[in-house]
Amino acid sequence: MGILVGKETRVITQGITGKAGSFHTEQSIAYGSQFVGGVTPGKGGQTHLNLPVFDTVKEAKKATQCQATMIFVPAPFAAEAILEAEDAGMETIVCITEGIPTRDMLEVIPVMKRSKSRLIGPNCPGIITPGECKIGIMPGYIHKKGKVGIISRSGTLTYEAVWQTTQEGLGQTTCVGIGGDPLIGTSFIDLLELFEKDPETEAILLIGEIGGTQEEEAAAWIQAHGKKPVVAFIAGQTAPVGKRMGHAGAIIAGGKGAAQDKIEALKKAGVVMAETPAVMGKTLKEVLAS
Amino acid sequence: MHIHEYQAKNLLRKYGISVPSFFVASRAEEVIQGNKELALQEGVIKIQIHAGGRGKAGGVKFGKNPEEILRLSQELLGRKFVTNQTGPQGALVEKVLISAPVNIQKEYYLSIIIDRKEAAIFLLASPEGGMDIEEIARDKPDRLLKLPVSFSGKMHSYHLIELANFMGWEKEVRTQGMDLVKKLCQAFVENDASLIEINPLVLTKEGRITALDAKFTVDDNALFRQPALRQWYDPSQQTVQEVMAREFHLSYIGLEGSIGCLVNGAGLAMATMDTINFYGGKAANFLDIGGSATQEEISHGFKILLNDPQVRAIFVNIFGGIMDCGLLAQGMLGAIRQISLQVPLIVRMEGTNVEIGRKTLRESGIKITLAETMAEGAKAAVQAVAKGE
Repeated sequence: MGILVGKETRVITQGITGKAGSFHTEQSIAYGSQFVGGVTPGKGGQTHLNLPVFDTVKEAKKATQCQATMIFVPAPFAAEAILEAEDAGMETIVCITEGIPTRDMLEVIPVMKRSKSRLIGPNCPGIITPGECKIGIMPGYIHKKGKVGIISRSGTLTYEAVWQTTQEGLGQTTCVGIGGDPLIGTSFIDLLELFEKDPETEAILLIGEIGGTQEEEAAAWIQAHGKKPVVAFIAGQTAPVGKRMGHAGAIIAGGKGAAQDKIEALKKAGVVMAETPAVMGKTLKEVLAS
Repeated sequence: MHIHEYQAKNLLRKYGISVPSFFVASRAEEVIQGNKELALQEGVIKIQIHAGGRGKAGGVKFGKNPEEILRLSQELLGRKFVTNQTGPQGALVEKVLISAPVNIQKEYYLSIIIDRKEAAIFLLASPEGGMDIEEIARDKPDRLLKLPVSFSGKMHSYHLIELANFMGWEKEVRTQGMDLVKKLCQAFVENDASLIEINPLVLTKEGRITALDAKFTVDDNALFRQPALRQWYDPSQQTVQEVMAREFHLSYIGLEGSIGCLVNGAGLAMATMDTINFYGGKAANFLDIGGSATQEEISHGFKILLNDPQVRAIFVNIFGGIMDCGLLAQGMLGAIRQISLQVPLIVRMEGTNVEIGRKTLRESGIKITLAETMAEGAKAAVQAVAKGE
């Protein structure tokens, strides 16, 4: 079970013949994901990693009945790749690409808001339902099928959390990296809703960071609708104001985005905060035991 | 990326937006020359740094005659200024902008921003000029108007009318104001701006709407398609470490503490700073070598820390994942062999071939503390600094 992707999900890679696209498609296949093809404009008709390559997503969908796509297209062309996937009716679009200009995403996001397709990312590690389907760049071996749903704006910090929950014996239902950019396709709230409905998910771990007000919005949602226990960690409590901390979206600006505001909002909503990132797994275990 | 006020004003001028006549000087001769060319009798001198809060920090002066303009300029040039936005290290003044004083009739506030929640561009406008936007929003929210701009840089005509009425623009001023806003929106999208702020925008006694100040920030992710703006990158506004990191395409931010951090991934890098803080220490920097860093990148990042006199202990926190920890260990050792290691080094590694990586470090003959977890590593780094004091 888990959410969004599973054993049956048929996946393609946009940018499959590129170095990163090729490597991570191979890794995802090795994990057990069902990849059925790839797209690289101009290379339609070729075969790569024993998979058929198509010129467009529409052609790939017609031939393979794919439902999800993993995008590794370089940043200057990645927004177009997302729009193409949406236009072809992909159910789940996972955009790994980092460095897409904000102006391009200003065109993409309104399209996604009206669409039936779901965009995860950009600038994210992807999504994984342990033991079933991995669409992304996360190391598969750290995951374990289990009961925690993980939502995160980060990459390696998510791996840290995953590793801790695996070592605590809790495991994960699905882990979603929603991306470190200011404009992203899927919010904390979208996934909180899905995890609430997923019978296998017993607790949710939310990993936020400075910048924007997404965590505050999630807190308001949890207060109004949340039934399952939520544990959270917010990175950047010691980050200076006005500096972009690696992620394009991680910046405290205009009096908004500070970690402390987010922590207070989440606490008020009944979320249990992990005091340090080293105790995310432990905190979850305690919450689930109580 | 920030650009200087004078660069922003040049850019706005290209769009037909009125700015006071000015010149830029980095040396005394250029001040004398500029004074002559503009025939200035008196002038406003503004330091050009990548930070706001210049006025309050004494970075804006008024010269009552050409001699005073020269003297004040010389006083400002080459100095470091600490404003509420620079951080304690301050920013170096390599250039001053000198312009003729403007007879102000009224001041306004204008900015264009990207609203993350709405995923859209908005114009913020207020007839209360000269105030900080945060102040206006807090104290006089009814004096702040927010209007949408399309991603292609268009503002609807009915929104322009709403704006003109709100600002109290009439007749000739109305035409000028609406025209300026249209051009500003165009400048925003065509240059991949992430922020333009005109504070204040003024109505001169001569009846002209003019941008007295201009703050302009460009989306780093779009610099690949903005070659002209890319040239305006100014290393003088960054620390040595920040300039080095940029050369190596690493993400680095200098902080006040003494523990140098090298981490893969931005979220984990921030979390590492937080953990150090939790155990009573302070990070000297934020350094993200990338989620899937190579041996070379780790070596470059390490050199930045080894060359930083502020660093009194180094904490490397790597969650390798797919990355090979063996290669990472070799990257670190490579850098240490080129530049000697003078401070305690604590390494926490997790990922593929982690045992090989640890073995490589253990057998290197270099004194390295290997930590099992992030908490253990952070604690060890804090203790190492405390011991050294």
